[in-house]
Amino acid sequence: MTGPARVRDIVIVGGGTAGWMTAAALAKVIGTQTYSITLVESDEIGTVGVGEATIPPILLFNKLLGIDENEFIRETNATFKLGIQFVDWGRPGHTYMHPFGLFGADMNGVGFSHYWLRAVAAGGDPDNHRFVAEAEALRLGRFMRTPQKTPDKPQINYAFQFDASLYAAYLRRFSEKRGVKRTEGKISTVARHPESGLIESVTLADGSTVRGDFFVDCSGFRGLLIEGALQAGYEDWTNWLPANRAVAVPCDRVEDPGPYTRSTAVEAGWQWRIPLQHRTGNGYVFSDAFISEDEATAALMRRLDAPAQAEPRVLRFVAGRRRKGWVANCVAIGLSSGFLEPLESTSIHLIQAAISKLLALFPTTRNEPELAERFNRDLDLQYESVRDFIIAHYKVSTRDDTPFWRHCRDMAMPDTLQAKLESFRARGEVMVENHELFRETNWFAILYGQGLVPEGYHPLADVLSDDELKLRLAGIRAGIERRVAEMPSHEAFLRQCLEGVTRR
Amino acid sequence: MTGPLDVVIVGGGTAGWMSAAGLVGVLKPDQCRVRLVESDEIGTVGVGEATLPQMREFNDLIGIVESDMMRKTNATFKIGIEFRDWGFKGSNYVHPFGAHGKAMGGVAFHHQWVRAGQQSRVADIGEYSYAIEACRKNRFDFPVDDPEAINSTYNYAYHFDASLYARYLRGWCEARGLTRIEGKVNDVALDPQSGDVASITLESGERITADLFIDCSGFRGLIIGQALNVPFEDWTRWLPCDRALAVPTERSEDFAPYTRSTALEAGWQWRIPLQHRTGNGYVYSSAFISDDEAMTRLLGNLDGKPLAEPRPIRFKSGRRTASWTKNCIAIGLASGFLEPLESTSIYLTQVAILNLLKLFPRSRIDPALAERFNRVVDNEYDRVRDFLILHYHATSRTDSELWRHCREMDIPDTLRDRMALFEHRGHIAQYRDGLFSPPSWLSVFVGQGMRPTGYHPMADNLPLETVTAGLEAIRRRVSERVEAMPMHDAFVRDYCAAADMVPA
Amino acid sequence: MSRKVEQVLIVGRDAAAWLTALALQRAFGRTGVTVRVVELPSLLGPADVYAAVPSLTALHGLLGLNDHEVLAATSGVPVLGQRFSNWSGAGKPFVHGYDTQRVAIEDLDFLQFWVKARAEGLKVELEDFSLAAAAARQGRSPVEADGTQVETPVAPGWHFDGRSYVDLLRRAALSAGVEGRAAGVQAVSREGDRIVSVTLDDGLTVAADLFIDASGAEAVLIGDSPGAEFESWRDAFRADRILVASAPALTPLPGHSEIAAFPAGWLGLFPLRDRTAITAVYDSSVMSDRDVAQAIPVLCGRPVIGEVTVEPFAPGLRPGWVGNCVAIGGAAVALEPLDAILLHLIHTGLSHLIALFPVDADQMPEAPVFNAGFASHVRNIRDFQLTHYALNRRFDEPFWDRARDVPVPERLAERFRLFEARGTVAIYDDESFQEQNWTSIFVGHGLIPRSYTPLVDRVPVEEQMAKFRGLLARVAEEVRAMPEVESQFGGAAR
Repeated sequence: MTGPARVRDIVIVGGGTAGWMTAAALAKVIGTQTYSITLVESDEIGTVGVGEATIPPILLFNKLLGIDENEFIRETNATFKLGIQFVDWGRPGHTYMHPFGLFGADMNGVGFSHYWLRAVAAGGDPDNHRFVAEAEALRLGRFMRTPQKTPDKPQINYAFQFDASLYAAYLRRFSEKRGVKRTEGKISTVARHPESGLIESVTLADGSTVRGDFFVDCSGFRGLLIEGALQAGYEDWTNWLPANRAVAVPCDRVEDPGPYTRSTAVEAGWQWRIPLQHRTGNGYVFSDAFISEDEATAALMRRLDAPAQAEPRVLRFVAGRRRKGWVANCVAIGLSSGFLEPLESTSIHLIQAAISKLLALFPTTRNEPELAERFNRDLDLQYESVRDFIIAHYKVSTRDDTPFWRHCRDMAMPDTLQAKLESFRARGEVMVENHELFRETNWFAILYGQGLVPEGYHPLADVLSDDELKLRLAGIRAGIERRVAEMPSHEAFLRQCLEGVTRR
Repeated sequence: MTGPLDVVIVGGGTAGWMSAAGLVGVLKPDQCRVRLVESDEIGTVGVGEATLPQMREFNDLIGIVESDMMRKTNATFKIGIEFRDWGFKGSNYVHPFGAHGKAMGGVAFHHQWVRAGQQSRVADIGEYSYAIEACRKNRFDFPVDDPEAINSTYNYAYHFDASLYARYLRGWCEARGLTRIEGKVNDVALDPQSGDVASITLESGERITADLFIDCSGFRGLIIGQALNVPFEDWTRWLPCDRALAVPTERSEDFAPYTRSTALEAGWQWRIPLQHRTGNGYVYSSAFISDDEAMTRLLGNLDGKPLAEPRPIRFKSGRRTASWTKNCIAIGLASGFLEPLESTSIYLTQVAILNLLKLFPRSRIDPALAERFNRVVDNEYDRVRDFLILHYHATSRTDSELWRHCREMDIPDTLRDRMALFEHRGHIAQYRDGLFSPPSWLSVFVGQGMRPTGYHPMADNLPLETVTAGLEAIRRRVSERVEAMPMHDAFVRDYCAAADMVPA
Repeated sequence: MSRKVEQVLIVGRDAAAWLTALALQRAFGRTGVTVRVVELPSLLGPADVYAAVPSLTALHGLLGLNDHEVLAATSGVPVLGQRFSNWSGAGKPFVHGYDTQRVAIEDLDFLQFWVKARAEGLKVELEDFSLAAAAARQGRSPVEADGTQVETPVAPGWHFDGRSYVDLLRRAALSAGVEGRAAGVQAVSREGDRIVSVTLDDGLTVAADLFIDASGAEAVLIGDSPGAEFESWRDAFRADRILVASAPALTPLPGHSEIAAFPAGWLGLFPLRDRTAITAVYDSSVMSDRDVAQAIPVLCGRPVIGEVTVEPFAPGLRPGWVGNCVAIGGAAVALEPLDAILLHLIHTGLSHLIALFPVDADQMPEAPVFNAGFASHVRNIRDFQLTHYALNRRFDEPFWDRARDVPVPERLAERFRLFEARGTVAIYDDESFQEQNWTSIFVGHGLIPRSYTPLVDRVPVEEQMAKFRGLLARVAEEVRAMPEVESQFGGAAR
């Protein structure tokens, strides 16, 4: 080989959400004029996609693709999502929300939560949700986009809940329109260059070969390329996140679906409830060390709000992360790169994060070890911070009513999380690094929501006079109430979005 | 604090030695170091001196034992001042250190006295005053504590030899480590920058620096007037007397517990009984009588054999506009002069000293301290001034030019309003700070011949018979109890006989 | 011989009119003076409150009003002080407690010792040595439900429901022999500076020897008297509105009023048995009436119930006695209801009037003396109020920046200077507030003396510390001996 060959042919192994999101993004950004993009998938292999919930950065992805949001909503049976409602997490009978919005507004450079803690310490309203527009709208089942962002009307932060299969199909149409080639087939073997170890091609079950310069492994848990061929290794986080099974089942739609995902802590894990336009996604994430698959399935079915629309499907996983997501000329995106339970709806976000990172570090040649190293380091940090955030839900709970919850109570936690909890307990502060997805406002929502009440707060929050604090708090609250009062119900707004958009 | 403040008192005499005793007796050596400069060549004004009851507070503060002090200063007791010929020739009243009667029916005694007097005959107001009756009978005893007892309704002061008192204090101070420097001050040097007094230079050439200079140099005002040029506010237009002749006479048999003041054609004559002799003097206005005539008048009006040549004294009524200026505090005659008609000289000195102690600077002189000092001292002078003017102005004497002048002169508004309200309705406002209290004003108003035309309307709430009976009861109690008092001379002999006291 | 004052006609309303009527009736009724009241329509709404400093107790004593009956009739509660919050931004609130004694060590004001100790590192606040402040903070007062008081050196101030208090005064005055008539004034007949008679809107013409104008800011009689020009104090006090409202009763009842600064002025919370009276005094150019009304529930942390009323306010003073007419209360002086001063201003006017009640119906040389004395009193009170404003430490807020920047009267400036220099309060004649009061608010607002009198050093340090400990222990003990306001006037007692 004379000189390093430039990357021209890109092969995505595996369809599903990760595969088609990657394909769509590449098609949009690098195009298919100078690059060829091939996606290999098999109709035989089912995708995991059920009802899927997202977080607000999805809007950036949509924007990147330039898709019409209303059309997207129609095509994916999407609903709007303002946050997650956590039921029975801190203690049985207790409910809190993790809304997408900012908690109040910072003042004099000090986070709002500190002022709020001061007000609560002085006997103020301990309902933090009143100070988050999204939480208030969520509570009242209302929704509206922000027509024009102004200082007194900051953006309403939202995301979607949609049918993942429809989303994949939607993106497939988007990608194919832009020249992405879809190849039907199951991978049988992976060919690597004997010296460089670079992947040269994949061979399909029918014997055909798909050659490529750069491979994206979207093959799911199995990690056909990244693990199967390249043996990147897997870091197991079960000691911190004991859940290793999920059973999922759709049921009939509920009337007037709230603009939120519900997560209910149950005996050996938790259940999701994701309302879509046409049905509701349900699932039970559990640890088979504490409940059998059958028992869990029975429990899930028993607790459905409406008749099931299909047979429950069991998924098995191991919480953890691929030790290296980019090895040689292959990048793992989606479940092949790691798995974190969807408690905070981070799956699609982690796909999106990997795609962005891949685009940012897009390789010139087939072998770019420095870029790979950088990619891996950045993605590791992302994974770890999301991991800590999820663990916090289990750790910060007073539940001890089942062996599962007692196990959670007693289990170790990462030092990084320990440090965050300690600083939060001392003065309501969580030090968040730049790269972290969940910011102070998110940590506050869940830690406080789970029942961890800080013993103090930032000393500079005392600098504001009492009346000024009360007036500002009231001003924020009144502004939120005014804004929410203007909003139609979620259902009505959805209908409005769907009008005038014809279904394909 | 940066070490003790260095204080130099310029001038001995009563003011100088009282200041020294105040500072040495009250402050600690690490707070101030006191030196006093005086010259034996300069005579002091000290003659027989009469005091006010406040004197006792001063003695108590620094820890002087009364009987010891009295013994060594030939002192006698004083419970009032007798004024002869003031309201008209032949009139006689006593301004007592005590009350007249007691309140009846919610109004001050004198309203009922005036009311009763309009309807029937009442006794002279003096007969309702325990102190006055004691004066009339030449009796003295210490007042008792029981406020219900008639013999608790007065206070007492002293007559003493002022030179002996100064000597007494000098001994007292020197025993406590005060440095006395013999010498005459030749020059005062000011700091060109600050205008503060930098040093004084003695005739001997010795230069003395200090942080604080107390000017007790007498009328001259060596520092306050000559060096700092602090103006003197002249009150001659209200208080025309500007000369005095002082002469001691042999001790008289009449050992009165009061000072006597007799109005003469061009002023008045004092008579102060001491244990060993009697102090006399004629305070007169040089505008209305020559020095020779005054001398003749005085010598012809003595009730005992003169023990020396009459000594002339010149003065001017008024005060410095700012007794505390820069780092100089004028105390005594250097700060102002008011004729001794109401024995206020030592009182005014004492007020200055007590306030200096309260406001004594720590390390630096805060202008607010001087401002306060001057405010208090000014107020005291103003109050006394009005009271003195009253004696001259409220008279029906027209037998000489001085009295005709005084009857017709303009008086301060404050005094004019006071007199008008007293005449109209017996009203005497009480002020918070400074001499004199309503009983003093009452005694002089009435003594000088003023009779209110009205009285407080609330007096009528009490039936007249009750009032007349009440008045009579008080009069009887006074007169009966006074009879039980020891004679003044016997009391003095027992309590504090001076070594050279002539046996009675 | 002078002609006695026999006919007194009071034209006015509310507490000023009826306190005057009752006071004059009690003082002079038996001496042949007839006291009549022309009662103008009340300006009080259901939300109004009268807050009083402790001196009112003495006035009630003279008027023959019994504490127990007054409290029962007016939903009243005793308080041992006022808590000032937010006047220094986020600084600590302080309580101006109603102590009757100045604490002293060997005849020296305790403050002097405190200043020294503080300079040497003592961390205990001056307020902690105030019995009244400590009791107030703990919700206690010496007053028992039956009106009797525990023996202790504090004196309670009071909160009364406005209308009930006036009803009580009216009843007491009428039953004491005052003649009352509800009417308006149609015309005032004058001769020079004297008033001859007043013609009412029901046609009746009433002549009198002495007229009292107790009509409030309307100044229905004195307003047109020659030489009774109103001296405006708008430059010093920028607030131009007074708003009153009510909130639900506080449980437990606190031992103090709450006086809280906010961006446009201050807000007073005056607990009563059955409600909390709210008064807001503010500058409407900083916050509109509507904004203030909306801010009140936020600032109080409680909902507003019932009616909210707003009245304009113009501070100032006029000569209160002209000819044969004497103004009492708002007709003579308009000050903010800060420091619970309104009834006290009436009381002060009455004290001066009773002391100088004219002896001659035809000439009243008392007038200038009354005016000088009353004005001097009022100016000292004004300066006390200005102290709160002048010493505020709320920065970057126009209302408060201005309040700090506007020059204070020279006498007050001198008080500040002296206190800062030496911890001494300059006290003049005609003071309503005594050294302990001035000291409390000076220190509370952060004016800390730079030095103390050297006389303090005469007391050995160990002895000083022992005295400090003793004082704190005594405060704690005396506070414990006082009942909780809630137990006497709240909860079950309601």
